[in-house]
Amino acid sequence: MNPFVSRITGQSPIVPLSIMAFVLGFMISVAWITNDARAQRIRSVDPDQAVRIGSGDLNFQDEYKKLKDEVLRLRVENTALQNAMAKETGEAKVLNESLQSAKVFAGLTEVEGPGIVITLNDGKDRIDAPLVDMIVHDTDVLKVVNELWNAGAEAVSVNGNRVVTGTNFRCVGSVILVDSVKIATPVVVQAIGAKGTLIGAMKLPGGIVSELQSVDARMAQIAVVEKMQLPAYGGATELRNLRPVEAKS
Amino acid sequence: MIFFPLVCLFVGAVLGLLIREPIRTEAGTYLAVACLAGLDTICGGIRAGLEGKFHNDVFITGFVSNVLIAMFLAWLGDRIGTNIFLVCALIFGTRIFNNLSLIRRFALTRWQDFLVRRREQQSAVANPNPNLP
Repeated sequence: MNPFVSRITGQSPIVPLSIMAFVLGFMISVAWITNDARAQRIRSVDPDQAVRIGSGDLNFQDEYKKLKDEVLRLRVENTALQNAMAKETGEAKVLNESLQSAKVFAGLTEVEGPGIVITLNDGKDRIDAPLVDMIVHDTDVLKVVNELWNAGAEAVSVNGNRVVTGTNFRCVGSVILVDSVKIATPVVVQAIGAKGTLIGAMKLPGGIVSELQSVDARMAQIAVVEKMQLPAYGGATELRNLRPVEAKS
Repeated sequence: MIFFPLVCLFVGAVLGLLIREPIRTEAGTYLAVACLAGLDTICGGIRAGLEGKFHNDVFITGFVSNVLIAMFLAWLGDRIGTNIFLVCALIFGTRIFNNLSLIRRFALTRWQDFLVRRREQQSAVANPNPNLP
């Protein structure tokens, strides 16, 4: 039989159409992308985009700030108690001094001193430079901090977040995470150290600062500060796997 | 009577909402293609009904096989790294548009037939014997 010959019939389409419309409605409503389904589908997109999509509803930042403030307050109390205890005997005093200097070194106390402030800003959009160069990336912050350490900085903070061992910088969509705190431009990097050395090192031709300034002079600005305070590190210091090696006597 | 399929569509949708079972990532894509295939077949069925060429067997087997073939092709595309999903979406989208435009033409023709018929009836009432001056 030729299937293209007209087979005009009088069959009513209502009942089969209804049945299949029922099936189709069921399929569409199951396939409808709800929030739950979207959360599941996020896994199949790029990690970068996934964080950007997923960060909309989850706001840990306020909670994190609160806990961080609490940690800082407790650390100050802890230092005060250690000092009070050490007033009693000479040995305890020596122990406490070494403890406090270790804490300063580790970045667990508020510190002050002279240094420089580097402000990183997104450049203004121009035609003759690619847009990706105009944006301050996590790697730019990382490079600036690295060069500051290299120049002999003794303490560094980024937008009020103290940089310590294990501090990481990571690009997440439109913001940069510094130890899971979201920051955006302007990125203010404060460093305490020998002012002259720091500023000389940062102005090195071919360095990160001059690289940023070659795109747009406003992208990196350096200022000398006679005295500034850097906050203490507010993150967790719990060690799960690390144990000191006992000295053999 | 014409709205019965629409009511069934909504009943099916409500039933799907009641289940609230989140589907897996890949199955979601395949189901989307299957939805397109189903929509295409239903549009084709309506069109065939308007043309008076509707066959139960053709319609029901067409629906099931289109849905299954679309899902299978999308799945196969994912396995062999070709985006057959897009091909399915394109083909079914084109066919849905075709069918809908044909349905629209049928509806328009019927509406104009109805208008012409009414005008003739009215003139017949106003002038019962047009042959006489």
